[in-house]
Amino acid sequence: MGKFIFNRVLQAVPVIVGVLFISFMLMVVLPGDPVLSMVGERYDENTVEIMREKLNMNKPLMVRMGIFMGDVLSGDLGHSFITGRPVIEEILDKFPNTFILAVGAMTVAVLIGVSLGMGTSLVPGSWIDKTIMVLSLAGISAPVFWTGLVFVLIFGVYLGWLPPTGYGGLEFLILPAFTLGLRSAAQITRLTRSAMLDTLSQDYIRTAQSKQLPWWKVLVKHALPNSLIPVLTVIGTDFGSYLSGAVLTESIFGWPGVGRLALESILKRDFPVIQGTVLFMALMFICVNLVVDILYGIIDPRIRAESSA
Amino acid sequence: MRFYFNRVFTVSAIYLIMGCGNVPPESGIRLALSSDIRGFDPAQAVDVRSGKIVSLVYDNLVHFGDSTEIIPGIAFQWDISGDGKEYRFFLRKNILFHDGNPVTATDVVLSFKRILDLEILSPQSWMFTRIEGAAEFIEGTSPFVSGLIAENDSSLTIRLKSSFSPFIQYLAMPSSAIINYRNIDTIQEIPAGSGPWKLAKWERDGKIQLIRNDNYWGEKPKEPELSFRILSEAMTRSAEFEAGNLDFLTIPSTEIQRWSTYPEFEDRVVHADELNIWYIGLNCSRPPFNDIRIRRAMNLSLDREKHLRLLIPGGELASGPVPPAFLGNNSFKPLPYDPEKAIQLLEESGYPDGLEAELWVGGGSEMFHVLEAFQSDWAAVGINVKIIRSDWNVFKSAVRIGQPPMYYLNWTADYPDAENFLYPLFYSTESMTKRNRYSNPVIDKIILKIQSLSHGIERNTLIQKANKILHDEVPWVFLWHKGNYTITQNTLLGYRPKLVFNAERFVTWEKKDG
Repeated sequence: MGKFIFNRVLQAVPVIVGVLFISFMLMVVLPGDPVLSMVGERYDENTVEIMREKLNMNKPLMVRMGIFMGDVLSGDLGHSFITGRPVIEEILDKFPNTFILAVGAMTVAVLIGVSLGMGTSLVPGSWIDKTIMVLSLAGISAPVFWTGLVFVLIFGVYLGWLPPTGYGGLEFLILPAFTLGLRSAAQITRLTRSAMLDTLSQDYIRTAQSKQLPWWKVLVKHALPNSLIPVLTVIGTDFGSYLSGAVLTESIFGWPGVGRLALESILKRDFPVIQGTVLFMALMFICVNLVVDILYGIIDPRIRAESSA
Repeated sequence: MRFYFNRVFTVSAIYLIMGCGNVPPESGIRLALSSDIRGFDPAQAVDVRSGKIVSLVYDNLVHFGDSTEIIPGIAFQWDISGDGKEYRFFLRKNILFHDGNPVTATDVVLSFKRILDLEILSPQSWMFTRIEGAAEFIEGTSPFVSGLIAENDSSLTIRLKSSFSPFIQYLAMPSSAIINYRNIDTIQEIPAGSGPWKLAKWERDGKIQLIRNDNYWGEKPKEPELSFRILSEAMTRSAEFEAGNLDFLTIPSTEIQRWSTYPEFEDRVVHADELNIWYIGLNCSRPPFNDIRIRRAMNLSLDREKHLRLLIPGGELASGPVPPAFLGNNSFKPLPYDPEKAIQLLEESGYPDGLEAELWVGGGSEMFHVLEAFQSDWAAVGINVKIIRSDWNVFKSAVRIGQPPMYYLNWTADYPDAENFLYPLFYSTESMTKRNRYSNPVIDKIILKIQSLSHGIERNTLIQKANKILHDEVPWVFLWHKGNYTITQNTLLGYRPKLVFNAERFVTWEKKDG
């Protein structure tokens, strides 16, 4: 296992270097001018020139890239052009919020997705199955900003059950978590259902049934784990993307997360923050994928055997 | 596997429980901002939001009143010399910074000097470059600014290089705030001021919570708390207001109709004047708009009155750049809607078959939809306008280098003076480097004269004259001056609209139980 993890970490290195390179080049090709986000309307040219100088924007491309790479390797992501704070602080400020939202959304997605998927796989073709499949299609297709606003209006404004937006206690988490998790829930429902249908027709399930094991035991102990691999993949990629911020959900609910930080920094051409968040997002994906890979191995020992061979 | 799940669940449970502590305050005035401020350093307060907040936690020598007037701040009295060059301020005694230190004339000198300091690199340094000795200080040939003199703790003289009447208004702007030099290191994070509000907590992109400064020398806030939530979506802000979680809302232009027809809210919708102008800048140094006839045609072919009536409730047609508040008896009418004359002008200027042009607009621009209505008006006389929409930064960069032939933009006053609608927008060095490349020596001369004259009949006449010349020269398509619609909860008392954005200090706002 140790060797497996080590190999995976090693593989991540070129990915990170690539991400660094791309995020730097992004700054070069991105139209616009960060200084103009900093100076307001009545700046004088002299101030603009000195700012450019201070931000190394007048230096040749290769020199700037060298400075950037050097700083990152020594653990310095730089300071925000706009607020002047260290980028790492800006990100770590927001990450706990993003983490809470991601966990909330994933909990919603897994609870709804796996239970509905399992349920429908037991009664394929019934009206319940058909209804849930249509609903899950709607769940996959509905855009987040739309479901978010509808939730805000129904549960926050008209019914008044939950605070419409904001962050803080559990009551604030429910609406954004459902908004964000709904699409994954729908996807997991469909995947679990089809994987379960596959598994349930396998010989060993019939064997288990003929041994007269209780039905729930057959389901939970034998069928479910074997259907989890594709589901786990979806959980992994979705969780990775949630951890790197959910711009729309965060904007609608006034949730101060990494996604909004990234968006704002792009709009203001706050290069160090853009680079920092891009790098951070890449790291999140790599970590989550690593965990998923390890979980594959735990759920299905054959995968572990293959990869260490 | 069980180990993993246990870890994940424990960590998330801890986060959830920790999160439960931060329930937002139920008391005090609750407002929303569309995005977070940059910080509490007045030297960096270039945007409207940061400026608004900075003006709550700091004091200035003088402040803006409800309308165009200047009211005393830290200075209870001031004299301006006959030649308009020397300002003498008398400061109140016993004013304390939030940390308990007294505010003295030396603090004022240090605060203004700091804005000029190249180390600080404040984009607002233009505000103080007219002070005597500012250039020497910036160049580094002098360690102090000779025109900034603290005579004793409570009196101060500022000498300008030449008479400049808007200067007293500059002193009420956010970047002229008086700072506590002792706390300069943390000034972006923690305000170092003496204003009526103190910072309680700032959660970036989340919430700014202020509490009343009980030691404030002036009118103390009636409410003990004031909080601003950062809500970037207009729909979300409306929903929070409707749910009763915000006390005040600036109604998005597209929702005015909706709020004005709600039986529950309609009588609380208030129209607040604002000093602004909405316009389409025409690049005057390049064909086709270097030809005044084409610029006139652009204006005449637009049925602005109709668009205003249908799309901009509460707006007022603009005859020139200067808002009516500064014009007294406005003696001339806005350009009429006359498409036939427009066609004739196009023919005369060598475009019998019409012309094509790009109209740029910034991504964050409000009222973007009016441009499509304009497009069809122009098309009717043969002017095919293509709308180029880009994000704000790209737009601003393009305007700066003079790329767009036409661009849609608005200007809101920093300070209530007609000069603010002339110098930054039409003075040739400004326009040629930042805006629509308009240069007219006659206008330049008038603007300089307006800047040097103190308020009075001669100055007002020149303002009207400048406005008339610009009306005739049409460097812009003049659109309208537009107010804001605001709405308050019925539990909120004491709200009075203010003309300038940082004049509102929320001291009169009060909530009754309801």
